[in-house]
Amino acid sequence: MATYQPTHAHTGHHHVHGPTRSAWDYWKRAIVGVITGVVLGFIITFLARWLFGFDGLWASQVYWSVCATLAGLGFIIGIGCFDWWWDYLRGRKVDYEDHSLHGARSIGDYFRPNTDHKVIGIQYLVLTFGMFIVGGILAELVRLELAFPGQTIADGETYNGFFSGHATVMIFGFVIPVFGGLANYILPIMIGAKDMAFPRLNALSFWLLVPAGVMLGLAQFVGAFSAGWTAYTPLALQGTTGQTLFEIAVQFAGASSIATALNFLVTVMTMRAPGMTVWRMPLFVWAQSVTAGLVVFGTPFIAGSQFMTWFDRVMGTNFFNVGGGGDVLMYQHVFWFYSHPAVYIMMLPGFGIISDVISTFARKPLFGYRALAFSTVAIAVLGFGVWAHHMFVSGMPGWLRFPMMIMTIVIAVPTGVKVFSWLGTMWGGKIHLKTPMLWAMGFVFTFVIGGLSGVFLGTLPADIQLTDTYYVVAHIHYVFFGGSVFTIFAGLYYWFPKMTGRMYNERLGQIHFWLTFVGFNATFFPMHWLGAVGMPRRVADYDERFADLNLFISIASLGMVIGTAIFFYNAINSWIRGPKAPWNPWRGRSLEWLVSSPPSLFNFDAVPQVVGGPYQYGLPGARHAVIFAGEDLGGGELTEVDRRTMLVVANESVGSQALTDRVRQLAASGVWRFTFLMPVEDGNNRAAERRLQSALSVLAAEGIDANGSVVSGDPLSAIRTAVADDDPQQILLVTQPRGASPWLDRDMVDRVRKASNRAVTHMVISGDDARTPTRSSAVQTIAVVANDAMGEGLATAVQERADGGPVSAVVLCPLSLDGPGWTDDAESVRDAAAERARAVIASLQEAGIPARGEVIDGDPAEAARIARDSYGATSVLVGTIAGRGDADIVEAVTAAAQPVPVEHVFVEAAPPAL
Amino acid sequence: MAADHAHAHALGHAPADKKPISQGVLAMVLFLGSEAMLFASLFTAYFMVRYNVAQNHWPPLNSSGEPFELPKVGTGVNTAFLVFSSFTVWWAEHRLKHGDRKGLERGLLVTMLLGLTFLVIQINEYVHLGFTPQDQAFGSTFYTLTGFHGLHVFVGLVLLLICYLRVKRARDFTPTFSTPLVAASLYWHFVDVVWVALYILVYLV
Repeated sequence: MATYQPTHAHTGHHHVHGPTRSAWDYWKRAIVGVITGVVLGFIITFLARWLFGFDGLWASQVYWSVCATLAGLGFIIGIGCFDWWWDYLRGRKVDYEDHSLHGARSIGDYFRPNTDHKVIGIQYLVLTFGMFIVGGILAELVRLELAFPGQTIADGETYNGFFSGHATVMIFGFVIPVFGGLANYILPIMIGAKDMAFPRLNALSFWLLVPAGVMLGLAQFVGAFSAGWTAYTPLALQGTTGQTLFEIAVQFAGASSIATALNFLVTVMTMRAPGMTVWRMPLFVWAQSVTAGLVVFGTPFIAGSQFMTWFDRVMGTNFFNVGGGGDVLMYQHVFWFYSHPAVYIMMLPGFGIISDVISTFARKPLFGYRALAFSTVAIAVLGFGVWAHHMFVSGMPGWLRFPMMIMTIVIAVPTGVKVFSWLGTMWGGKIHLKTPMLWAMGFVFTFVIGGLSGVFLGTLPADIQLTDTYYVVAHIHYVFFGGSVFTIFAGLYYWFPKMTGRMYNERLGQIHFWLTFVGFNATFFPMHWLGAVGMPRRVADYDERFADLNLFISIASLGMVIGTAIFFYNAINSWIRGPKAPWNPWRGRSLEWLVSSPPSLFNFDAVPQVVGGPYQYGLPGARHAVIFAGEDLGGGELTEVDRRTMLVVANESVGSQALTDRVRQLAASGVWRFTFLMPVEDGNNRAAERRLQSALSVLAAEGIDANGSVVSGDPLSAIRTAVADDDPQQILLVTQPRGASPWLDRDMVDRVRKASNRAVTHMVISGDDARTPTRSSAVQTIAVVANDAMGEGLATAVQERADGGPVSAVVLCPLSLDGPGWTDDAESVRDAAAERARAVIASLQEAGIPARGEVIDGDPAEAARIARDSYGATSVLVGTIAGRGDADIVEAVTAAAQPVPVEHVFVEAAPPAL
Repeated sequence: MAADHAHAHALGHAPADKKPISQGVLAMVLFLGSEAMLFASLFTAYFMVRYNVAQNHWPPLNSSGEPFELPKVGTGVNTAFLVFSSFTVWWAEHRLKHGDRKGLERGLLVTMLLGLTFLVIQINEYVHLGFTPQDQAFGSTFYTLTGFHGLHVFVGLVLLLICYLRVKRARDFTPTFSTPLVAASLYWHFVDVVWVALYILVYLV
């Protein structure tokens, strides 16, 4: 057997034993840790103040500082991040390759320290999207206050808390760590590694973020920090307890960032698969590595700035107190020396994602791969030399202005290189407008606007006019929301099938995009205008003349709220009950698409061999990597693997039992990848896509690597393109029998053979067999039971269910002839019923849902029994005509169908008279 | 071989003959880069206070009109202790390479004693300095820089102590596998280098 299953019971050298403790055991300890931290902090502070004779034993900020810090540490120790190290330092015998905390077998395993990079990735994503909701609520509170001039919902101080909290939560709690989540999941797989370099450090990085998030949230309730996310002195020195918590939270989040970044750097430097040279790395890996470098060398500066502010606030030091010889402007220099690179920390990984997405969905090699990689490095290096452009009007030395302005504008050059590379990639490509691609193209659009307004702000004379106005708010949102957040959604939709093993709902994804895209531009574009005419930022009240636009902005922002709600619904619903995802839904080339969805416990069952670049779409014979099964799984040599890919050209028969059986046989005999090509000439792509999805789900559930696409137009040219694109070794052409097949009439077999220059196998599947759906646990079988309610209404009901995952339908028309017996009249009644059933079957077939059916001699309950026993139905739809009171029928069917669930559908209009 | 390559992880437990640098040591080198930037941020504060605000009238005058005074000589002697401890930890590693585990133990012990001596002398200096972190920006930068350094010495001591316990209790470290030891000693050298820079820039110049 040459194909290999996604083995979750790994047979390699790793010693994995199930965790013996439940998540709750860890949390009990964490709670004890937090309480101990608080109590200990209180006692230590009290004793210290008492012993060293401070004036007054009570100083609230000191107690808050020590207690919060120790509580955070107590949480991390309690939850168990240091358990291994505790054994180590006690001199116990330890297993360096200890995988006892690796992987998730139940939901609970996501709520304890876990060393599996995939679990940590999910933990990051869930936590950060939780923060996204918190930050979003704060943003809407800001917009609510600003909807009308004057005080609307909050006084100035509370309002300051809203926007400070919004920015801080979004930046430190969402945008920076969410990339860590995506990268945690994807990056090790992309480079062919089994995990990160330091799995335990990786777990620690995640759990450090939890106290940071809690403290930022708690701060809102103990006197919110109101000095903005930049926490400028001397404003930050006057703040309340929330400001102290802000400073401690930033330390925790910063430590988390640095630890993750070190981990990424070492992983990328030492754990790439054989053949993965730096010039074969996907750009997401490039971007994440450069970002990690920025984090490692930049983040200590914000740590330093927050330590000094903290000491000034709590200990009464004089760093920023001019009266004590301090330098108040020094805060801004130290802060921005980190925080300008930080905007690239929030943007560069997104650039990487976009490069991957655009190349995959344009089906073209990335234009200027090396230029994209170099420009990433250039942006990072230049990013350390522009910090003072945030301070043009701060009163800093005048000589610093001009060089900073020039450096800032120079950064537009590598950024422009990127934008033109993306446009060059799309130029002449075959663009597939799936949700990730929509986000990517939307990103290019909005980011260019954000980049241009950035050049304006970087220009000294313009900045002096525009600084601290809404122009800056517009700019920052065009680069952070239209930039980073768009790329986050692009990446999330792109890798959703890989991470969850389920497909998201494409239509909802596109609605989410359009609502957000329109809502975003309607919200933030007018802010350019507001800023240019002088509306200052960070104020709760404004002049009457800005009122109309502000109300418009507040209303427009609701578009993003609705879009986000749809996103959360789609993500959660698809994660739970979406159709099973194939290994490679986007026909991507990089390594994560060569493993199952989701990947097995240690990602790769055999070591991948990288043989080429990651973006060589459409180049005949090119491939990024090959994975061949290990000897123990009966895998062959590298040269043999080459012969074992197959292009399956079919249409009506996709999803049928006959074709699926054939693919199973071929997989068992050594074909390791199937690419389905469904040429559609009559234009009904939706039906074909549904059949394809169903077939891919069945194969994915069986661990067979299959992907495919539906192509409109001439089959022959589609085949030529697919051969050039994927370089399959063989082609399987499936048609109807001679006479029933328009393809055979056009002598397609020979023409395909000539056009593709590949071995072509012809397979005939006749009409009935083509309509017999595959029996598989991955396909839901819906039985439709109705008599005179049988019609379009029920067909629509089935189609709605088909949007949630692959289904096949059984149409059953029960006919209980308890009248005078078998008469001519009965015959015509029976014919009419059969006609109705046939119409529904045809309608479902048209929509791409395999359907069969019969007329049953018996009552509806009998039909339900037959559906369950003979057709293996997994659910039953009973249709009755509205307002006729057929409750007893529904009851009888429900009883008869046990344990299959029964749903009742009212059909509104009466069917046409006989 | 290839399979080993892909899953050689966790604290740099990698075959020493196949890799020029183990993962653990590489991570420590990068981490020290990060630490260097933390001290750089504090030095930035120090220099901006000293040159921008005080215009290099340094040390400034304290509340009684006298310039602040730092014990250059006493701290110089203390500096020598710390610098010497860098050599002893190097010696300890060197003994391990020759398979002399007793020598390794002794080397670590002497290093820790020297480090502890440094800390005790430094705390004693704090007690007798006569100014506090609240005494002008001079006091703030001085205590923050030396305090952060002292904290790093403490962390270095903990790392060395862990190594010492591993040697004593778990018979750890061989000439071919000593990543935690190498990492701890790198950290110790770093703490040393920072102190020398700090002593020159804050006490002497």
